[in-house]
Formats: sequence, structure tokens, C-alpha cells
Amino acid sequence: MTRLTSTRRRLGLLAAATLAMSSMSGAATVTAVGPPPSGIVCTSDAGTNPSFTLHATSGYVSIPDGNTIYMWSYSDSGSTAFQLPGPTLCVNQGDNVTVTLVNDLAEPVSIVFPGQTGVQANGSPAEPQLSGTEVTSLVQPALPGGGTMIYTFTASEPGTYIYESGTDPVKQVQMGLYGALAIRPAGHADWAYDDVATKFKASTEYVMLLSEVDPDLHQAIERGQSYDFTTLHPRYWMINGRSFPDTIAPNSAAWLPNQPYSAMVHVEPYDAGSNPNPALIRYLNVGGLNHPFHPHGNHGRVIARDGRLLEGGAGEDLSYEKFTVLVGSGQTWDTTFKFTDEEGWNPSTNPIPVTIPQPQNIIYKGNATWYSGSPYLGVQDELPVGVTSFNECGEFYHVAHSHALNEAANYDAGFGGMLTLIRIDPSGGC
Amino acid sequence: MTMRLDRRFDRRTFIKLTSLAAAGAAGATLLRGLPAGVPAARVAAAGTQHISLAATDGFTFARGSVTGPGTTSILPDELAPAPLTWWGFGFRDVTGLTQSQTQAQRGKFQASAPQIYVDQYVPALANDVQISLLNLGMMIRPDLTDAHTIHWHGFRNALPLFDGVPEMSVAVPIGRSFTYEYRPRDPGTYMYHCHNEDTEHVSMGMTGIVFVRPAQNSGAGPIPAGKYVYNDGVLPSNPRSTAYDREWGMFLSEGWAQEHWDGAHIQEHDWSDYNADLWFLNGRSWPDTIVGPGGGTDASGDLVAPAGHDELQYNPISSLVKANSGDRVLLRFVNLGFQQHAMTIDGLTMRVVGKDATYLNGRDGTDLSYLTNTVYIGPGESVDAIITAPTVSSETTFLLYNRNLAYLHNPGEAGRGGQMTEIHVFPAGTVGPQPEPNKNPA
Repeated sequence: MTRLTSTRRRLGLLAAATLAMSSMSGAATVTAVGPPPSGIVCTSDAGTNPSFTLHATSGYVSIPDGNTIYMWSYSDSGSTAFQLPGPTLCVNQGDNVTVTLVNDLAEPVSIVFPGQTGVQANGSPAEPQLSGTEVTSLVQPALPGGGTMIYTFTASEPGTYIYESGTDPVKQVQMGLYGALAIRPAGHADWAYDDVATKFKASTEYVMLLSEVDPDLHQAIERGQSYDFTTLHPRYWMINGRSFPDTIAPNSAAWLPNQPYSAMVHVEPYDAGSNPNPALIRYLNVGGLNHPFHPHGNHGRVIARDGRLLEGGAGEDLSYEKFTVLVGSGQTWDTTFKFTDEEGWNPSTNPIPVTIPQPQNIIYKGNATWYSGSPYLGVQDELPVGVTSFNECGEFYHVAHSHALNEAANYDAGFGGMLTLIRIDPSGGC
Repeated sequence: MTMRLDRRFDRRTFIKLTSLAAAGAAGATLLRGLPAGVPAARVAAAGTQHISLAATDGFTFARGSVTGPGTTSILPDELAPAPLTWWGFGFRDVTGLTQSQTQAQRGKFQASAPQIYVDQYVPALANDVQISLLNLGMMIRPDLTDAHTIHWHGFRNALPLFDGVPEMSVAVPIGRSFTYEYRPRDPGTYMYHCHNEDTEHVSMGMTGIVFVRPAQNSGAGPIPAGKYVYNDGVLPSNPRSTAYDREWGMFLSEGWAQEHWDGAHIQEHDWSDYNADLWFLNGRSWPDTIVGPGGGTDASGDLVAPAGHDELQYNPISSLVKANSGDRVLLRFVNLGFQQHAMTIDGLTMRVVGKDATYLNGRDGTDLSYLTNTVYIGPGESVDAIITAPTVSSETTFLLYNRNLAYLHNPGEAGRGGQMTEIHVFPAGTVGPQPEPNKNPA
């Protein structure tokens, strides 16, 4: 509700402005060494025997309402910095993958690799750990205080997978011990699966790792207090460990030192000649709730679920288009996404056949907008004095968010949480 | 009241035209030797399809009772004039109303929002869709200055200006109107809602169903004119056909009584406390779902309550399904709540032919439709399911209900409630042609 006399403004709107501008200028002129402003950031190891070392450790993340949350996560050995989520591990089909877990936490921690087969832990089959009928861990854990466990497997099937803790996972996964694993088909870095129909534009590959946070749980763990899991009640909703508007900040944003992954999508219109391949969006749900994720702007084509291509026994194409993907707890969904300038509206040659009201008859919410002032792609037009625009060159912005709309909020403040933006530049970019 | 295809026709003319078209199609059907029960034709008209919506607040009917802290009655809200029970805001269809009739609708929204149905864009018909939104402001909370928008959820390749997300383009202030331009190229079942402060405006009631009828309805080569969900490209006799005889939007939503009371009483609430305690099918809870539809508008432009049900004046959409043996009954499920729902029917099988305004058909033509008796549907999803009514010798009743039984409930009431309705199947030839979606012939 907007009150006549209210001074209540959404926290983060100004912050969002800053972030968006940073993101845009970065997108247009990136020259510095480091990850691109948006898109997947792979942690990889060249060769056919990639090896990773992950530290289970603790740290803090920031939330756009000003809160700070104590989390656990897996962090890359190459950096002492805590990061949420864990590094996105990228390997190739057929690789013999080694992941060494070093446990810097005060209780046993492990890693399960759902969707992988033949996983070994310290050279033995990874298997549930039982004490009588009590399952103490889903796989062999690394002991606290610097203990290690070496997990190995062959990356046999391309696709999108979760990795997460298998030890007291009710607590540890909620605390943040999760990450994404992308297995690329052999010989085709720009195919999602071993099928040319899953070819995507390599510079437009995205991860959307969905999670929830109950701050009471995190505070209890930080203080060493007990917590009743039947009272679990998430208040924050994240994509790649960030809540909107932080989701649209660039990769490795300096002001989000422990949350390195952007969730901004950045594409150009489909063109059969110059831009024929779609973006790839890899959805992973590491939370306990199902999340109905709705990208505005266009449908996505669901090409795979849980790391398996949607095809029939005789090779039939079972992919389908959706405007909302209901990503279940523990699931992964792969979609391709493209935006087409379908009508080719043009202010002089093909104008939109409605009259657009004068600015004084329109609301620009909060006097800040991603809108260009013009409905036409690649065109900027005047905005009223006092309205701040984050628009660079007439590009389009659409939101993409959980349609359980209570999740598109930061605690009590709307337009936050599990929400990000899709940026569509005019052909050729800004 | 539902949308007209073209404002140049009044309702009487429109029904006459569609009846004539139906008769023509029946003749054509006989000539081609197609089976009986082939649906009546719906031929698209030429010219822009205009629809006018108004956004405002008001009181509607939510069944049950909720007591807040102390002895405060949260539901019914004491501010609500009996027999209405709670406050909210949403849309009204003001297409064809005069300016003074339209202005008189301030404080009189309907739940759920008016069904919108339009024809697919065909270049030769130049039949764009233009929806104007007039923000009438709030009657009960004049201190609120909320802007509103229309977000056509799922519209492909949308322009931000017409996508209704106020941070990405614009919103409509009180006393102003804005016309949204659409060229709907893709038939199917969609939804619309306000995207301004979306969490609140959606849960307060600014939500409805919109569907696009396919060009194939006018006939396509050997495929006769008729009623189809998609441009399926097959004869009605083909098992993959999306032909149907009767259709119902089944619009799913929830309510949180505390939020509505808070809104009316100038109180704040916390979205992370969201805790639905009412469940709706087309804006009503069982057993109101099987009451007939409202009676359109009166001379002042106000809604006319269903006969004998003054409390449902602003909840006009019925979910009572009546069909003849052998009829193909289309259920367009849309979920704009925040929870997932499992709509099930005992004794009937549904064929799911579409999801999210997309015919279930692989790129290589593989049939992706499937049979089920439960449609599981998340927020922001749509599902098109067709039932073939079984052969019966006398009227037979089936229940459509949410298999999440905790949602089959009205607060403070004994017995079942919430998201449930009835499907009545009659011997062939009993029920006349359906005049409009979600309506049965008199």
C-alpha cells in the first residue's frame, strides 16, 4: 500500500539503482580481469582429472534490508574468503573428478552428489553411515577440526546437479552447505546436453540456485543454542545466495564479498542470422520448499530435469515451453530462453497503435525506473524531471521471480527476495 | 459479467451471432460426417478488440469466521456492510458502461477479476487487443494512493511498457487511465494481475484469468470451424484434438483474513507471516462455488447478484459445471495464489492438453498430452484439461476438489469448504449450448 503521508520507502531501492548502474557500465565496457558482470562463474580445473578442494566453513552474508546472516558454506581452497553458495564446479563429461573436503566446522560435514553414480569416499563406495538404526550421515563425512574426506566420481552424464551436505542435512543444508555442479557434454562446451538441440550462446549461460533462510535458525546456531526444526519459517529468499536487489549486482561485486554470484540475465534479441542461439538457465532448488519461478518477457523451453535430457526412448523431443517452472525441492531444471522482437515496433515505420499518456498522467514508481522513457527497443526518450533512470540505451528490463509472491520479499518489504532482472539489449548491444 | 469480443455488439446481438454461427457449423459437420457433439463455431471478428477495466477497492464475500486478538472479529470484518464480509481490491469490467456508470463503480470491485477472453491475432483481421485500465481509487482507504497496472502473465515477447511491472515501466495513478496494447499470437490460457506492490495487490484480489482463442476456431482447411483450445492442426475426431463443447475457467487463489482486516483497519503486516486461511475457486468457497453466476450489470452499472444470493453480488463467477454425456468439457486451471494445489476429480479422467498457454506437443510433433485425475499446479501456472463426460442414464454428480484436504475448509465452519465444486453430467441432449464460459444455459 502506498500511503499519502507515508515516508516508508522500500529499503534497497536506491541501492538497487547503484547496483544496476554498476552492472550496466560493467557490461558495456568490461576490460578488467575477472568474471563477466553476469552469467555463470565456473570453478574448473583443466585436464581430464579435475581436482577441487572445498573447505566447510562459516561466515556472514548480507541481506538488502540491512540484516547480516551467519551461514555455513563450502569455500574454494584458492581463497580464504567465505562464499555462499559454494563454488560452481564445472567439469566435462567423462572427467574423473576429485573433490577434497576439508572440514573447518566443529561438527562432521560431508558432500553428497545427487545424480552421480559410483561415488567413492576415501576410495570406498560412498554409502550411508549408520549407528544402529540412526543415520549419522548420508555418506562418509570429514571429521571436525580440519578433517578431510576425498570424494571421487566419473562425470558420466552431462547436466545440472546439486552438491550439498549429507550430514545432519536438515540443519546443514539450511545453513548453506550447497552448491552447483555443471557437467558439460564431451566436446561441446556450448551444448547443455549431448544433443545439438541444446546448443546455447556461450556468453549467456546462467545459474539460478534457489534457497530460503530462516534467520532464527541461523542465530540459534551462531549462539550455540538448540533449535526446533518443526518451527522452521523462512523469512528470506535467495537466488545464488543473494536477495533482490543484490541479485542484479555484478559477479564478484566488491560490496558483497561473500556472495560472489550475480543472478542477472543479459541477452540480445533472437535473430536467425546474427543471434540464433538461446541463453541457458540452469535452475537448482536447494531449499525445502518448491519454488514456482516465473521469468517475464517470454517462456522458457524446459530441455532437462534433474540432469537428464527430456527425450523419449526413441529420441523423441519431450521438451516443452513454460512461463513458470515449478522447481521442486532438490530438483534441477534446465531451460533455454530467448526474447524475440516479435512485432518490430518502430517509432517511425511501425508505431505502436495506442496513445501513450503524457508523463504527468503516469506513475514512475518511487521516481526511479529501469524504463527508457520509450516503449521501443533501443530508443530512449525523455522522462519527467526528478525521475532517475537506470536505463543505458533503450534496453528492456523484465523481472523474473518466484510467483509464490510472499517469497518476492525481504522479510516484510516487497520487491525483494527471490527476484532478479532480465536485461534485453538492442541487437549488437548498448 | 464477462468480456465481449467486440464492443460494437451488445450481448443480445453477440449471442444471436454466435448461435447462427453454431447452426452453420452444425450443418457443415453433418456434411463432413463428423461425430455428433462437434462444438459450435466461434468465428473471430475483424477489428481491434477493446476491453475496459477499472481498478478499485470494496467489500466482497468470504465465508467463515476468524477471531483475532481479544474478541475482535477479523472475519467478518465489522466494517463490511452485511451480507458482505471483508475488504479487498481488484478489477471490474466496465466495457460498454457510460462514464457516469463507470465512475459509480468506485468501491465495488469483484473477486475474482472478470474473465477476459479474446481471439488470437490474425493479420487479415487486424484484431489487436487493447485493454484500458482506469484507476478509480479507494473508497474505504482514501489515504491510500496506490497505483495499479495490468500484467498479462505469460505474454510472449512482451514490451516492458505493456508488461505492467511498475519498476520496469509505468503504473496508472488514481483518476487516470492507460491503454495496454497486445497482439496475442499464441492461443491458450493465461492470467492477469496487478504487478504494483504485487505481493499485496495479488493477495488482495487483483487477479483473474485471460485466455486467447485460436485462429483455428474459424476453421483451417479440413478442420471445421469450432471451439478449440489450440491450433492443434488435427480433425476433432483425432484423439489429439483440443476441440471442446463447454469451458470453465477454474481460477485458484487463497486469502489471508488477517491481511484483509489489516488493510481495512490501517494496520501493517509482515509478508513472511503469510498464512492463508481461505481457499477460493473463481473467488468463492464451497458451497458458494455451485451457486449460479451473477446477472450482469444494472442501470447504474453495478453488479446484479445471483438470484437469492445477495452476498455473492461481488463474487459473480460460478464454478458449477453442467454437461451432457459425450460432451468434451474444458477446464482452464489457473493458480494465482501463493500455494500449490492438487485439483482432483473422482470418477472422471482428464486429458491435459496444454500448460502455460502452450499446446503439449514436442518440437518434433511428439504427443506430450497425458491422462490424469489430479492436476497439480503451482502459483503462476496454467493447465488446460479436457474431460469427456461419461454416458449416464440420469443426472450424475462428480466432485472437483483440492486433494490437499487441509485446504477443503472454511475457517470457523464445520464440514468441507474451500476449493471444491460439482460437475453434473446429464443424458445426451439435456443441456443446451453453453452461452458463455462458466455459465450454464437457463
